[in-house]
Amino acid sequence: MEKKLLIEGRRLDGRSPDQLRPVKLKAGVLKRADGSAYIEQGNNKILVAVYGPQELHPRHLQQPDMAVLRCMYNMAPFSVEERKKPGPDRRSVEISKVVREALESVLFLNLYPRSVIDIYIEVLQADAGTRVAGITAASVALADAGIPIRDLVAGVSVGKVDGTLVLDLNAEEDQYGEADMPVAMTGRDKRITLLQMDGHMTREEFRQALQLAMKGCQQLYELQKEALREKYSSTPKEVTG
Amino acid sequence: MRIVHVSNRALVVPGELLAEGDLRAGRGAYKEGQKIFSSVVGLVEIGEKEVSVIALEGCYEPRVGDDVVGVIVDSHMYGWIVDINSPYMGDLYAQDLLSKVDVTRVELSSYLKRGDLIFAKIGEVTSLRKVKLQARGAGYGKLKGGRLVEITPVKTPRVIGKRQSMLSMIQSVTGCILKVGQNGRIIIMSEDDKKISAITEALYMIEREAHTSGLTDRVKVFLEKRLKEDGEKASD
Amino acid sequence: MIEKHRVLSLLKKEPLLRSLQQGKRIDGRTFDQYRPISLERHVIKSAEGSAQVRLGDTTVLVGAKPKKMPPFPDAPDEGGLIVGAELRPLASPTFEPGPPDENAIELARIVDRGLRESKCLDFRELCIEAGKEVWVIYVDIHVLDHGGNLVDAAMLASIAALLDIKGPEDPAWKKDFSLKYKPVSVTIAKLGNCLLADPSLEEEEAMDSRITFCVREDGVISAVQKGGSGYFESEEILRAEEMAFTCAEKLRRLLG
Repeated sequence: MEKKLLIEGRRLDGRSPDQLRPVKLKAGVLKRADGSAYIEQGNNKILVAVYGPQELHPRHLQQPDMAVLRCMYNMAPFSVEERKKPGPDRRSVEISKVVREALESVLFLNLYPRSVIDIYIEVLQADAGTRVAGITAASVALADAGIPIRDLVAGVSVGKVDGTLVLDLNAEEDQYGEADMPVAMTGRDKRITLLQMDGHMTREEFRQALQLAMKGCQQLYELQKEALREKYSSTPKEVTG
Repeated sequence: MRIVHVSNRALVVPGELLAEGDLRAGRGAYKEGQKIFSSVVGLVEIGEKEVSVIALEGCYEPRVGDDVVGVIVDSHMYGWIVDINSPYMGDLYAQDLLSKVDVTRVELSSYLKRGDLIFAKIGEVTSLRKVKLQARGAGYGKLKGGRLVEITPVKTPRVIGKRQSMLSMIQSVTGCILKVGQNGRIIIMSEDDKKISAITEALYMIEREAHTSGLTDRVKVFLEKRLKEDGEKASD
Repeated sequence: MIEKHRVLSLLKKEPLLRSLQQGKRIDGRTFDQYRPISLERHVIKSAEGSAQVRLGDTTVLVGAKPKKMPPFPDAPDEGGLIVGAELRPLASPTFEPGPPDENAIELARIVDRGLRESKCLDFRELCIEAGKEVWVIYVDIHVLDHGGNLVDAAMLASIAALLDIKGPEDPAWKKDFSLKYKPVSVTIAKLGNCLLADPSLEEEEAMDSRITFCVREDGVISAVQKGGSGYFESEEILRAEEMAFTCAEKLRRLLG
């Protein structure tokens, strides 16, 4: 049965094809973690914590000239309609890897030899695009921890529904659409650090999809900067004369 | 030739363009080609030859010459392993604490044992980040008594202040000595619980408001008020 | 690295004990006082019931999801309850990734006993077709920030999540699903001679042992757990039970 996902140019949730879902991004939300961030994007609710740099144990895992970056993506059992059994599955393992690789290039790992930086991405409520939303929040969490980075990395997914390219897929569009392409990009110099696609795209569609994704990433980049600034925006009154 | 894109003490975020031209990138910044960008969230400091960013968060990175407050974690035949609130542990060898020591004849734990606090100087940091501590000399070595307060390491310069202004003020208003480690650890040398409580709150206040100006005055006002209140309560 | 934490927490123990000797807790609370608590219901849409509790610096999120399953052979006309807990590594530098360790398992089992033995759920009401299909409610405890006393935060969030369940869109779900009781847990730590309700992280790291009481509103105790490697005198246990009963009444008000 064909499900119509676009009606008169509007998506089922009312968005136009190049529109992001509503995003809320906050830095410094956890007490114990060295850095943290929380993102809501549509119905996604994702919490990210960063620990480090800290000493890496066991010793044999240490790199003599750089820090090791570890990333763990996890979905809470109640984050999806069909309860997910706790523990890493093959999908989580792959996502953890590509997310780590998306963030590795912006870190100055050579500044902290023999140490480890841990990124934990917890999906509390899922609605497609969790890995890229996780990357957007993880960059903020790294900056929140005071870990030097070249740039912030933001991520968004692009897809194809009813033959039209759309930005920031939700779960329904992901399930019934014809393609899903998550992309992550550095904010300042627009370097692509994550790119995956599964589905059906012509060469022209792929080119356009990439452009659309980069546009979305730029918008998220502005929100990331705002989230970091906001943490220090409330200042007490100064003592005068 | 140089162009500076931000004002001194502006709040910047990673990736933000700070300046271009013949300037160096200092701490918290990096240079690509002719452009200097921020690598951390912090306040810009524009110097004569260098642009840097004072980070508002971050771990302690050991630097030669820094004073640190360490906690003894373990001992071995030649000395002790010291936690200095850093990704890297510090090594304190017996001869860097005691003069004329023969390690084969002396029970090291009689000098320092697990849990003891020390005030030391960073003597050496190798490329592998092995950190060697020095604890000889007046004011260094084992700390007897006093209360430990921990704040974000990158904010300790604010506790000291320009030309020691903040630290001198706290010490003179309260009459207590503070031993400040660059690694975010401060020891309040006092047994007076009320003073310890007031100073602790003042330190957390500095940590929260490190990015603002007029802080030294506000902390002074807070301490004077608090000590006065405590004094009035005591005489009730 | 966990080594380092132990030495550092031992350092904090001495000022803590000194303060207690003067009758004060380090954060100014009285011995039977809880830290500020907030409870938010219906926070996760993908769970049929959910709640998040903030207790001091501790944050725990619980999702409750009923699932249709075949019954256990020895109870063909009864549904079930399965409680799981995860101490997510993001919540504390002392939590390692991996399957639930003894602390996570103990936490889940205390909450399970507190809920199950209180008879707040009538498992017969969760039966769809005897011998064929029943409802099993999964309660998943997700610890997000460890600031001490995970048990009480988890128990409160779990019962709130169950109360929050607006049934699955399924004709087999009984619309009048409700809880018969509202059990609440109170954890009391022993430090020296002092009994402290709702231990903070520092108090937990310094304590000799702890005891948790799960109590129903009618005073019936549905579960007790002593934890930690120290000991209690018998009269201390009785004093703790009295403290628990008083604290439980206050906590239960948050459930509405």
